[in-house]
Amino acid sequence: MNPSSFGRQIAALRRFAGVLLRHPQSALGTALVFFFLFVAVFGAQLAPYANPNDQSHAPRVSPTMDIGALQLGEHPFGTDRLGRDVYSRVILGAGSIFRIAGLGTLISVLVGSAVGLYMGYRGGWFDELLGRVIDALLAIPALLLALVLVGIIRNLDFEIGSWQAELADNVVLLVIAVLYVPVVARVARSSALDIKTREFVEAAEIRGEPTYYIIFREILPSVIPALVVEASLRFSYAIFLVASLGFLGFGARPPSPDWGLMVNENRGGFYQLTPWALDFPALAIAILVIAVNLMSDGIRRAVQKGN
Amino acid sequence: MTTPLLDVENLTISYRIGKRWIPAVRDFHLQLAPGHVVGLVGESGSGKSTVALALMRYLSSNGRVESGGRLAFAGEDLLSKSAAEMRSIWARRVKLVPQNAGAALNPSLKIGAQVIEVLYAAMGIGGAEAEQAVLGMFHDVNLVDPEKVADRYPHELSGGMQQRVVIAMALITNPELLILDEPTTGLDVTTEAVILDLVRGLMAERDTGVIYITHNLGVVAQLCERVLVLYAGEIMEEAPVDQLYAQPRHPYSLGLLNSVPRLGQSKADSRLHSISGNPPALAQLSSGCVFADRCEFVIDKCRVDKPPLEQLGDGRAVRCFRWEEVDASFLDPSVETSYQSSFHGDGEEQPGRQIDNEVGDKLMRVTDLKKHFPVAKSLGDWLRGKTPAPIRAVDGVNLTLGAGQTLGLVGESGSGKTTLSRLIIGLQERSGGQLELLGMDIRNSVRERSPDVLSKLQMVFQNPQNSLNPYLSVRQALRRPLVKLRDMTPAQAEAEVSELLRRVNLREDYADRFPDELSGGEKQRVVIARAFASDPDLIICDEPVSALDVSVQSAVLNLLARLQEEHGTAYLFISHDLAVVGYLSDVIAVMYLGQLFEVGAASDLFQPPYHPYTEALVSAIPVADPEHKAERMLLHDVLPSAQHLPSGCRFHTRCPRKIGAVCEEEAPPWREVDAGHAIRCHIPLEELSAQQRSFLRPEEIG
Amino acid sequence: MLKFLRRRFVFFVFTYLISSLMIFFLLRVLPGDPARVIAGGREATVEQVAQIRSELGLNAPVPQQYVNWLGSFLRGDWGKTIAFRGADNRELITQRSINSARLALVALLLSVPLSLVLGIIAGLRENKLPDVIISLLTLSVVSLPEFVTGLFLINIVALRWGRSELAGALGWWFPSSSAVPANASFGEMLPALWLPAFAATLVLLAYISRLTRAGVIEELKRDYVRTAALKGIPYRSVILRHVLRNALLPTVTVIAISITWLISGLVVIEYVFGFPGLGSLLIAAIERRDLLLVQAIVMVSVTVILFTNLFADLAYAALNPRIKLG
Ligand SMILES: Nc1ncnc2c1ncn2[C@@H]1O[C@H](COP(=O)(O)OP(=O)(O)O)[C@@H](O)[C@H]1O
Ligand code: SF4
Ligand code: SF4
Ligand SMILES: [Mg+2]
Repeated sequence: MNPSSFGRQIAALRRFAGVLLRHPQSALGTALVFFFLFVAVFGAQLAPYANPNDQSHAPRVSPTMDIGALQLGEHPFGTDRLGRDVYSRVILGAGSIFRIAGLGTLISVLVGSAVGLYMGYRGGWFDELLGRVIDALLAIPALLLALVLVGIIRNLDFEIGSWQAELADNVVLLVIAVLYVPVVARVARSSALDIKTREFVEAAEIRGEPTYYIIFREILPSVIPALVVEASLRFSYAIFLVASLGFLGFGARPPSPDWGLMVNENRGGFYQLTPWALDFPALAIAILVIAVNLMSDGIRRAVQKGN
Repeated sequence: MTTPLLDVENLTISYRIGKRWIPAVRDFHLQLAPGHVVGLVGESGSGKSTVALALMRYLSSNGRVESGGRLAFAGEDLLSKSAAEMRSIWARRVKLVPQNAGAALNPSLKIGAQVIEVLYAAMGIGGAEAEQAVLGMFHDVNLVDPEKVADRYPHELSGGMQQRVVIAMALITNPELLILDEPTTGLDVTTEAVILDLVRGLMAERDTGVIYITHNLGVVAQLCERVLVLYAGEIMEEAPVDQLYAQPRHPYSLGLLNSVPRLGQSKADSRLHSISGNPPALAQLSSGCVFADRCEFVIDKCRVDKPPLEQLGDGRAVRCFRWEEVDASFLDPSVETSYQSSFHGDGEEQPGRQIDNEVGDKLMRVTDLKKHFPVAKSLGDWLRGKTPAPIRAVDGVNLTLGAGQTLGLVGESGSGKTTLSRLIIGLQERSGGQLELLGMDIRNSVRERSPDVLSKLQMVFQNPQNSLNPYLSVRQALRRPLVKLRDMTPAQAEAEVSELLRRVNLREDYADRFPDELSGGEKQRVVIARAFASDPDLIICDEPVSALDVSVQSAVLNLLARLQEEHGTAYLFISHDLAVVGYLSDVIAVMYLGQLFEVGAASDLFQPPYHPYTEALVSAIPVADPEHKAERMLLHDVLPSAQHLPSGCRFHTRCPRKIGAVCEEEAPPWREVDAGHAIRCHIPLEELSAQQRSFLRPEEIG
Repeated sequence: MLKFLRRRFVFFVFTYLISSLMIFFLLRVLPGDPARVIAGGREATVEQVAQIRSELGLNAPVPQQYVNWLGSFLRGDWGKTIAFRGADNRELITQRSINSARLALVALLLSVPLSLVLGIIAGLRENKLPDVIISLLTLSVVSLPEFVTGLFLINIVALRWGRSELAGALGWWFPSSSAVPANASFGEMLPALWLPAFAATLVLLAYISRLTRAGVIEELKRDYVRTAALKGIPYRSVILRHVLRNALLPTVTVIAISITWLISGLVVIEYVFGFPGLGSLLIAAIERRDLLLVQAIVMVSVTVILFTNLFADLAYAALNPRIKLG
């Protein structure tokens, strides 16, 4: 890469960040997402009790947090009915939601863009067939497909420690990746269809450039803005989906400190007993979802402005 | 002059860009009396539409008219009118015919309903009475079968018909003022000629004051009495039309008039005059003369002080300190001669090139080339087991192209020019026929062609905006073909990039620029450099200047001519502009519905005898010369579909010279006029010659 | 028209076949041995597995199994449940579908008009205060997961409000659980429908209103709007007669697509509220490994979605003169 194009990319990134952060809503969203990311990465250091399943505390303690006095106290979010510190569990739960949603999105964006770009550029029967399969796949609601897949795979008996068991443990991550590949592929395909009619691609064909060169060198750079927008959108849906699956009991298994699971475990009759054990993880989910949405909306706006 | 219909003084119009208000049009003025036509010419971005919308008081929400100006319509101050008052003025007294009629019509309402709405808003007429009025108006704008048209949706009409509907919509209330904003831009010359004819006829019957906006000097010459020349938001010159063309007083008008090639002018006689540089961007206007950076007459004072719009009497005004010195003799004398001579008859005196397609170095031979696009079966076809007729975009084309020659290809849009060029370059696969390059057969598609063949054929595209990858620098764009097709080492390629830039008149430091840092003309130069990088034998140029501003077109044409001379490269040059094709070409081929109908040396082609279709194309050109008021041969109707081609001679459905049943039944023969000049028509050549000479006025025959 | 119909129909059949193929393979082939899964996993005896195997026709070759299965699904023979004491799958699903449809209906009746109005207002006032407020609302509150809003409605609205004096005085409260009998009539069910329907409304609101807004903004930029305004007709007519006519056309499709969303959303909402619909049935079926029931439910959902899309395409084409039906 030559220095002038590197400098341009830095400048473009600056401009992008400028537009993103100038808008108060998207700036707030972005800041919150980074705050959660920080919590997710340094959860073990931040949580007062490193073991989320430590039941040695008194059960059903009300939150000791005092916002007015800026004090956390011993159990800022209280303890649940089994005597586990809710604050530590919420902090330690951030990691898994980011890991699953983030990695799942990343895989789907990588695979989906490659497939979609190839489909869009080459066209023909491959595109036709895959296009139909994608349409069919999209006719099945994502959550239903996820439930079915997770439900089945989790019920399969694998030998403990085998690679299949490893896979089954990460089933939600994989399901997200698989579910979003066609969605991303569709976006990449339609952008590629648009870009490939541009004359600079034809100029490359006239030079006899190979397919991989045309796809990655000529088409991909112009598709990246659309992919960034799609990736941020996918990430927000992935967070949504991970939380929902966790809540329905199809995500992490108890006693893991999964936010959705915590919400489910403390609803109904238990809510009267320890409302905080539901309210705080629910609040964490709500804030994270809103923040990711605000950020992704800001990214969309910034990318549109940049073009 | 009594109270003028429109009296505009000191009008400044600004747009808010970011947080600043930037004056896009400054100090505009205009007087218009009822029944008169004034032309407003300027390149894209010069502020023509801004003026039109400001006169209508319908600027977009980020635009405003600055205070201090005067905008009086029939003695009333429009700037102080309320929204309701403006609505009643819009309803019947002033009308705008916008650019791009297709977009100006509501896609989901029937044509008739949309026009009736105008009548209802203007005078509360509805029902059968309104319907009658609308049908009558449709009849007046020469719409065939008005009832049917009224019952259609906009997308079901051709571009020419949409334009007529929009004109009918404007005229139906008999407005006092009519503003036409580039009403024929984007239409074919043949359609444009028909619409201009219509506008002229309608105006002659009415007392309407007309402002006609265009970038085409030819159109102004044909239609207007007075012209305002706009540049970068300021009036450069105002003059009666004949005086402006005879003796422009502003360096910009002078340059513009001389940079457009006349029909019959050729690269062999002279280079075109060209205005250097590019129009300024809105945000970077100087305090001095806006034209100073590009002006050949510039003096120090011009960069500091803004010249006033000086009244010269006789209805002339000019914004230039040195208008008295501005004179055509300042320019290259050879250009001047060709400008003043009328276009017919030039050919004889000139040292016309000897074109002989049978001898000399043959570069490429195209034999019976075909492209048929299959059409999907409908359910009916399916049941009856029928296969629908394919679209025959290119249907049996034979051509020979000599080394170092330019072959010009003309025809209306949809005639198959682009498809033909894409078959040759290999971007589309042919359905039949042969292509020979330097005696060897070449394969169908670029994917199958050897690097050797690839390097010999290159292309320059219509749209410079999309021809360069926005994410690659000029250096990267130019280096790739050198490495790929000429096997250069990186160091060699580096040196060659500078050389290529030099040859297309770009500074070396342009190598590190990216496409968004280049103007349209500069981009096209880089594209041309890229095409020359592999040292090709043939470059296909599909409309290479039509997306460029008028004032930079001639520089690109000159560049193409010079590079051809230096490298001996052949061009296949496609354009809808006959004068441009004529300027650059040695041989011209006329295409209609997938076939060639006339082929001949450029010097012979624009005079009788010509094929009736060529004749129609030539006579449709709006000539930038107010003295030239020849009767036109108009082509009515639209191009038939390439799926259901007319029998016999494909042109018979529109041919004004059709001789009878033979035209409908038999394909016409090729008739040879001279060596290398042939016409495909049933009319014998002598007869054709005789008819066509009598069609012109005597003084126009050389 | 015929050509268009044929194209849509071929597309419909093709998509249907592919999705059914995917559902079949997911549930029959992926789990290794479905008979064992159904029989209860590891604890099942060899005899139990063998019996289920022959009952399900799993001894036939896989393509044959697919054809048999699709054939019997299309004929309406969906087998018996294992999870629900041997009830007939079709009867069970029909009853639950009706309940879900009632919920969906109330949700659509609430959300479609509301989101259209919000979307149009936001679009006409782009970047002005009303737009900023509506956009922020749809972007944040409304895009929360259904179980979060659902629990909020239960814990705050139903429980707190239900116990407040005001609710007592008005006599209007919301049941905190919607676990009504599955065979209740619409009238009996209605009180239990409001809260879950409201939660579902929020799901749709964001989606429909944002697309409506985008449509209005896009149409406002078109040239024909200027033509209409310069006819001298009032602003109201420009908007109603010209802009909305074009801007709302795609809404037909948008609403159809939102049905897909609604089906996903209902699964969670029914679960949260304990409502006896198709969604809660699906979760129960998955939990109890009733593969036949799961398959049938997913097939029914896909059928509904594909028919809705087909219908929306036809309606769009019929309303849009730019699509030629000839
Ligand atoms: N890819 C295509 N599929 C079907 N028809 C086409 C295609 N490309 C061009 N045509 C048709 O071929 C004819 C000639 O088109 P074109 O080559 O674009 O002409 P021109 O260059 O003169 O504008 C037209 O009728 C056009 O509709
Ligand atoms: S004022 Fe000066 S710079 Fe401007 S046009 Fe006249 S001579 Fe040229
Ligand atoms: S053959 Fe007949 S229809 Fe064709 S161009 Fe000649 S005169 Fe016209
Ligand atoms: Mg073309």
